Amino acid sequence: MNPQALDRSEILMFLRTPELDAHLSEMLENCIETLCKAAQPRTVYRVLPVAHTAEGVTLGGLPLQGADIALHLTGCKEAALLAATLSAPVDALIRRAEVTDMTRALMYDAVAGAAIERVCNDLEAEIKAKYPYPYYTARFSAGYGDFPITQQGELVRLLDAPRRIGLTVTPHQTLLPMKSVTAVMGMSQQPVRDARRFCCGESCAECPYHEDCPQAVLD
Amino acid sequence: MDFRTLLLNEFVFLDGGMGTMLHLAPGELPERLNLTEPARVAAVHKAYAEAGSQIVYANTFGANPLKLAGTGVDPAESIRAAVRIAKEAVGAGVCVALDIGPTGQLLPPAGQMTFEAAYESFRVMCEAGAEAGADLIVIETMSDLLETKAALLAAKEHTALPVIVTMTFTETGRTFTGCPVSAAAMTLEGLGAAAIGINCSLGPKEILPMMQEMAKWTNLPLIAKANAGLPDPVTGEYFLTPEDFAAYMPAFADCGVQFFGGCCGTTPEFITAIRKKLENLRRGRRAARRPAAVCSGTRTVLLDMPRVIGERINPTGKKRMKQALLDGDMDYLRGEAIAQTEAGADILDVNVGTPGIDEAAVLPMAVQAILEVTDLPLQLDSSEPAALEAALRIYPGKPIVNSVNGKAESLETVLPLVKHYGAAIVGLTLDENGIPLSAAERFAIGKRILEHAQRLGIPKEDVCLDCLTLTASTGESGPSETLSAVRRVREELGLQTVLGVSNISFGLPNRPLINRSFLSMALTNGLTLPIMNPMAEGMMDTVRAYRMLAGYDENCTNFIAAYQNAGTTAPAAPAAQNDNLTLEGAVIHGLRQDAARLTQAALEQHAPLAIVNDMLIPALDAVGADYESGKVFLPQLIQAATAAQSAFGVIKQHMLSQENGSQADKGKIVIATVQGDVHDIGKNIVRLLLENYGYDVIDLGKDVPPQKIVDTAIANQVKLVGLSALMTTTVGAMEETIRLLHQQYPDCRTVVGGAVLTGDYAETIGADCYAKDAKATVDYAKTVFGA
Repeated sequence: MNPQALDRSEILMFLRTPELDAHLSEMLENCIETLCKAAQPRTVYRVLPVAHTAEGVTLGGLPLQGADIALHLTGCKEAALLAATLSAPVDALIRRAEVTDMTRALMYDAVAGAAIERVCNDLEAEIKAKYPYPYYTARFSAGYGDFPITQQGELVRLLDAPRRIGLTVTPHQTLLPMKSVTAVMGMSQQPVRDARRFCCGESCAECPYHEDCPQAVLD
Repeated sequence: MDFRTLLLNEFVFLDGGMGTMLHLAPGELPERLNLTEPARVAAVHKAYAEAGSQIVYANTFGANPLKLAGTGVDPAESIRAAVRIAKEAVGAGVCVALDIGPTGQLLPPAGQMTFEAAYESFRVMCEAGAEAGADLIVIETMSDLLETKAALLAAKEHTALPVIVTMTFTETGRTFTGCPVSAAAMTLEGLGAAAIGINCSLGPKEILPMMQEMAKWTNLPLIAKANAGLPDPVTGEYFLTPEDFAAYMPAFADCGVQFFGGCCGTTPEFITAIRKKLENLRRGRRAARRPAAVCSGTRTVLLDMPRVIGERINPTGKKRMKQALLDGDMDYLRGEAIAQTEAGADILDVNVGTPGIDEAAVLPMAVQAILEVTDLPLQLDSSEPAALEAALRIYPGKPIVNSVNGKAESLETVLPLVKHYGAAIVGLTLDENGIPLSAAERFAIGKRILEHAQRLGIPKEDVCLDCLTLTASTGESGPSETLSAVRRVREELGLQTVLGVSNISFGLPNRPLINRSFLSMALTNGLTLPIMNPMAEGMMDTVRAYRMLAGYDENCTNFIAAYQNAGTTAPAAPAAQNDNLTLEGAVIHGLRQDAARLTQAALEQHAPLAIVNDMLIPALDAVGADYESGKVFLPQLIQAATAAQSAFGVIKQHMLSQENGSQADKGKIVIATVQGDVHDIGKNIVRLLLENYGYDVIDLGKDVPPQKIVDTAIANQVKLVGLSALMTTTVGAMEETIRLLHQQYPDCRTVVGGAVLTGDYAETIGADCYAKDAKATVDYAKTVFGA
């Protein structure tokens, strides 16, 4: 990955710090460099038909649970199911740093957050170029709102992600390698209802998803 | 048809894609079809047999109990049906293979599924397949070397069928988990596969160079089962025609491939085309012997020049290591592993033998912990066969076993393990009569060990001999007899030679000088595997210089890379040059080296406890207060904590060296990331801060079962348990842990934290305290234990 492609302000947000002194900035730049070298970004996606039924919404025949994802895909006849991972070496890099230098571990973790976000943004752009629609929803992941994280396994299987990009899911729905994302992006001829991620509009600090959310406002 | 008869053919033809031919509807489970639509499955086999496939894969790829859980399909029943369908469809002239694919989960170090769980799931498959009359077992599309090993061992240990194995590689020449072709080849051959190869992921063009690489690393028959080119990224469809695909096959035959088939996107037409293309061709000849090498799951180390075996993970004579093992402090072992890796070791010795330690339980745990942070191959070092076997089972790759010796009992117990698990072995040249003094007698014992190993089928290149370094002070001819034995083993037997180098200087002054000199002499006499401390002064220098001077370092590249910057130091951290720097200042500014240095100095004048209470904790409090008031942020807080940690390391070492060992601990706390959760960076930050404040933290790691947490809390009579969970799906395990604690150990308090928790939620699940961050955990600990 190109280290310059990563959004520094986003990394600082993940670090929950407004600024770093010269010494820590230098350390961060070094962490960005190292992580970008270790990362092997891989992505996979499928564009699948969306059907709205009395029970909710289905994607490529798979019923997606919860009202929020159904609402999110309102007006969409198709949606892209996508998955991205920075791959196993990034997990190994963070594990090593957790033993030798926790400051670096913290930085790697934040950089990886920005890196996977970047990979997803690039993938999103690629999909949009191939599937021109007037409107797209934001990416919506299992675990947002009432779209249960327990569907993670089904999403990963639908993409054949273990075989295609080496992305697996544990029985407790954790994605492995850890720095990975799955998401659904709706495509529509009409304006979409909510272009943002699921958001209750209340306290971001109390929100379980603030770590993933670039719009989170923390005190 | 018998598989062994098939092997006599110049080429053996496999089948092509199964999923491709079944035309599955979205969500349709192929393994269910064995029970619901046998005719549809049979038609595919029949088409392949008619196209000339001599082995067809039964429709059992995903019939793994772990994958079929919750689908309502019984794996054994589906497998029995699948094998029966295939046998009936193809008749007696074609072999039917039980097909085993991956579980879809990862094993350590990348994942958390246990070896035992994977093994058990594969055992169910193998037994059902064998019972149904499969002619052989195929393990395919594997990415994780340890998972592949679990499947291969399950097949070998529960059936008598031949097992062939293919793994799947990306364009990088490695699997998704980072396993190189070489490591896959040597590991699978060692474990007794009948043939190995590559399938899926890529087309024949991309796989060919990897196949050529694999051919160099094994003497086994080779298998190629490529996809029909690269899939369209959007539709997942394949575009290579049967003829275009077959056009690559002569090149595969040239590199010695015997088994030909196709994977995703290939059809019976591909098999017909391959057969036609290979008509009248012969396989290329292959080198008779594979190179001497060992590997982890992610790195191969060729034994083609002197390679350093790091000796630091061994409690003998090391109080701190002994204590870490007794405390179950795997992070200390991880730290030693990282330090030796960075110092330039090629292989790491792992020995956990010390009184009070159950080696059979701890050795595999240590191996797993170490492999989380290094990709170096390991040398499993124990005198207990049970411990060796426990570690050999869960080791991903080909390790070295240290050791066997010339005693009959040792040869009979250790060598069969080495053979079964495909390891390399160190043979010590001693026997029932002890260590002979003369080189000739040691050579003779070594030769005997080699002969025993070869009789069991352990190849010569996997046998290393340790001619034993005796302390120089015990007799002036000792060193020269050792060196003479090394030279003879190297020259006359052509084996790898091992020596524990630093034994030479025991009891003498200026040990580093003796060690360096002896190392240099031994290398010149043919020592290839020095066991040594790569961090000890001058030792790696000697090895690097030797490699360069002896012609192992082309253009002196490695030597220059190691020393061109020698003399220049890393840029100094702020205030590092300040002579007025205090220990408090070093902690506040996050200066690790300075904090350690100043602590060392402080110990000359102050008691350990006074340093903790009067210097370290006030400094941490100051940083903590700045953090809470928003003057500094998380990175600075953690940096200060890391500096304090290095100070604590010095204090701990100091106290271990004092016989009375007065404790600075303020109380014990058990912490863990709950079962199912693998995100433990937050928990590790909490540990760091708690240790900073002088608490004795028992860190159980991640994915810890509730009862284990409770048992540890009770066994150590701790007053406080800290639990972390990041996922909504694992908060249940947190609640369960708290429930069990209340039931079995009601006096214990609990503090919880993690991204998905809130104060209210913590209260709902019965926790005594919700800590919003690591600092808050420390504050709560102070109230529990009294500041």
